[in-house]
Amino acid sequence: MKRILALAIILAFSIGGFSQEHKQFISLFNGKDLTGWTMPGEVPGFEVIDGIMVAEPSNGSDIFTKEEFANYIFRFEYLLSEVGNSGVLIRCNHENPWETGVEVQLLAPWTPYRDDLHCTGSLYGHVAVTNRPDETTGIWHQMEIRCDRNLITVSVDGQVTTKANIDTVGSMKNKHITGAIGFQSNHSKKGESARFRNISIRNLDLEPEYVKAGFFEEDARYRKPAHAAALKIGAPMIEPLAQLLSAKSPVAQSGAKQVLFDLVAESTAPDSSGAKKDAVAKSLEKSLRNCSEASASQFLEWLLKMTKSEN
Amino acid sequence: MKPITKINRRRFLKTTGIGLAGLPLATNAITKITPADKIRVAHIGTGNMGSSHIRWFSAFPDVETIALCDVDKLRLNDAKKLLQSRNPSANPDLYSDFRYIIDRKDIDVVTCATPDHWHAMVAIMAFESGKDVYGEKPLSYSPREGQVMLEALKHHNRIFQLGTQIHAGENYHRVAEIIQSGALGKINTVRLWKTGGTKGLGFPPNEMPPEHLDWDMWLGPAPYSEYTPVKCHGTFRSFFDYSGGVFADFWCHIADIMYMSVSPENLTSIDARGEVPDDGIADTPKWIDVDFKFKDLDVFWTTKPPQVPNAENMHIGAHFEGEKGTLTCDYENRIIKIGNETFSDLPEVPKTLPRSPGHQRNFLDAVKSRNQPESNLEYARKMTLPMHLALISFRLKRKLSWDSTREEFKNDSAANFLLARKYRSPWKLPDY
Repeated sequence: MKRILALAIILAFSIGGFSQEHKQFISLFNGKDLTGWTMPGEVPGFEVIDGIMVAEPSNGSDIFTKEEFANYIFRFEYLLSEVGNSGVLIRCNHENPWETGVEVQLLAPWTPYRDDLHCTGSLYGHVAVTNRPDETTGIWHQMEIRCDRNLITVSVDGQVTTKANIDTVGSMKNKHITGAIGFQSNHSKKGESARFRNISIRNLDLEPEYVKAGFFEEDARYRKPAHAAALKIGAPMIEPLAQLLSAKSPVAQSGAKQVLFDLVAESTAPDSSGAKKDAVAKSLEKSLRNCSEASASQFLEWLLKMTKSEN
Repeated sequence: MKPITKINRRRFLKTTGIGLAGLPLATNAITKITPADKIRVAHIGTGNMGSSHIRWFSAFPDVETIALCDVDKLRLNDAKKLLQSRNPSANPDLYSDFRYIIDRKDIDVVTCATPDHWHAMVAIMAFESGKDVYGEKPLSYSPREGQVMLEALKHHNRIFQLGTQIHAGENYHRVAEIIQSGALGKINTVRLWKTGGTKGLGFPPNEMPPEHLDWDMWLGPAPYSEYTPVKCHGTFRSFFDYSGGVFADFWCHIADIMYMSVSPENLTSIDARGEVPDDGIADTPKWIDVDFKFKDLDVFWTTKPPQVPNAENMHIGAHFEGEKGTLTCDYENRIIKIGNETFSDLPEVPKTLPRSPGHQRNFLDAVKSRNQPESNLEYARKMTLPMHLALISFRLKRKLSWDSTREEFKNDSAANFLLARKYRSPWKLPDY
């Protein structure tokens, strides 16, 4: 009985954990139309049929999210026709996606046979799969692409296929680290197709703890987007950044000081809402109460006075 | 209206852990200097610019350098050696705390070449103790300090010269004459620039200050900070806690020729853009561009030379646009364009402005005559203010409207908050 209870508790927790994680994913495809997506080419390459995003015309336009993302977990399901060929473009500018970003390949394996550097799950031409996935066509597969600063991880059907540290890949040296996410239109012959559904994303740059960790990055390529993300998050970022004021890392400390100032500055703009200013002031007060380090307290106190404009 | 009395100052010294033991006894009140007298000078801050002060002032026959002060003992010893190399009979008293100099009654003049965040406090305490001041640029760390400095100067009837030595040169006087003559017509636009900006300085760890440096005194009224060498000597201007970067460093040298020539009035708006470095702990502008609107005058500051003829090879410069022609200048050169013709001078414009006998001499003469020198505090404050306001716009990342009568921003309390900074205890900016 005890064991069953324990199992029930574990189950309840894991379900709870799952649903909490699940909540952080937001759908990028409403199943009805292509709201939030753009097809810059002349001929549309995608249409919505029965709740599925379908790429059928050959030489049609690729499709891209309007929003840009830097660090995220991107999940979707795909189904390729018999000799289907498509792909996912990540961290790209849709005007020159292959130059700015990379393609995570989606490909039938017999078109002809392609090696591990060009098969499904590979960062096409840059990083090979180390664990080749199930490439059966005509059935739905799940793919997850995780972009975590310099690390890109691709999984298919729950198995990691590809792990890349882009800092060690010479050919990716000049790739962007933020950008749109796109699907390649039908890149096979006429009559073939690629289908996509359940497209969702967990944007890590909206999560304060993830963004905070980016402040420790020595490389400005990864640190600057963390600063920008913190500014976007706003008041909820104040407490984590206030903690960084006492960090041993001068990189994190100086970045936190700058972004805290910028957050306060933005909240005090004459056109900023009173609620925003209050939220910033409240977070500063709370941070100050929890701060035990003298120069950090002194800085937080000064910022707090700035929100209240009392010298 | 609260000059620090001797008793207050005693208490002050006591609370800050500095006894008066060993100080020379205060003699009678400040004696008036006659033209025949020697001017007794003390130099506060003996680094890079301070060494220039020692060289410049020790060369005058009517100057006797009697005290040197620096928070860094190594620099202080070097300064003594430098002075004695110029004047072997000199035997200056050496101090690491400038309040000993403030307390001495036998010193007529102090020169100040400390970091920016000390400029106001040193000058004000010098004025209050009856001394005249030759102070390095920029005038002050904050606009509020500039106001208090001027009030203290007037209240104590003191002389001040800002260390903008380019001001004294022939070129600036001639440029001002040509522009004021009306030869270029009414000036409607001035473009100022200085290339280069703050470098990031990397991410050095904090460390213990060296034995020979009184880091707490170096910080003085600035917020407390752990020590790391790049925050201190040589590169302190890279930090907003102490200064405002290359822009704050050079603004007054080149804005000077604009103020000499056209005295801009009634500043109404300031709009700054730019970036801070991303490769280090420095936080002042890597580049900064600013649009200022004065009454009938647009002023643009850029980090790159503006797109006007001859500007691209000048690392610093001013370009005046008038109804009839333009004038582009730097410290030594001027290029005048009227129509399609280029001139280096307009001989028909008479020399109307009296020439400076040299910036330091001009100050020493003022100490004797009691008439304010060319870069006096009132002038220097007016000229420095737009620099401070631009940095506030830069930091807040927004355009600001300015009320030049009330000397405050319109409808922006955070911007007004940044016009002043509360000093770290025990330092206090007095009220007048």
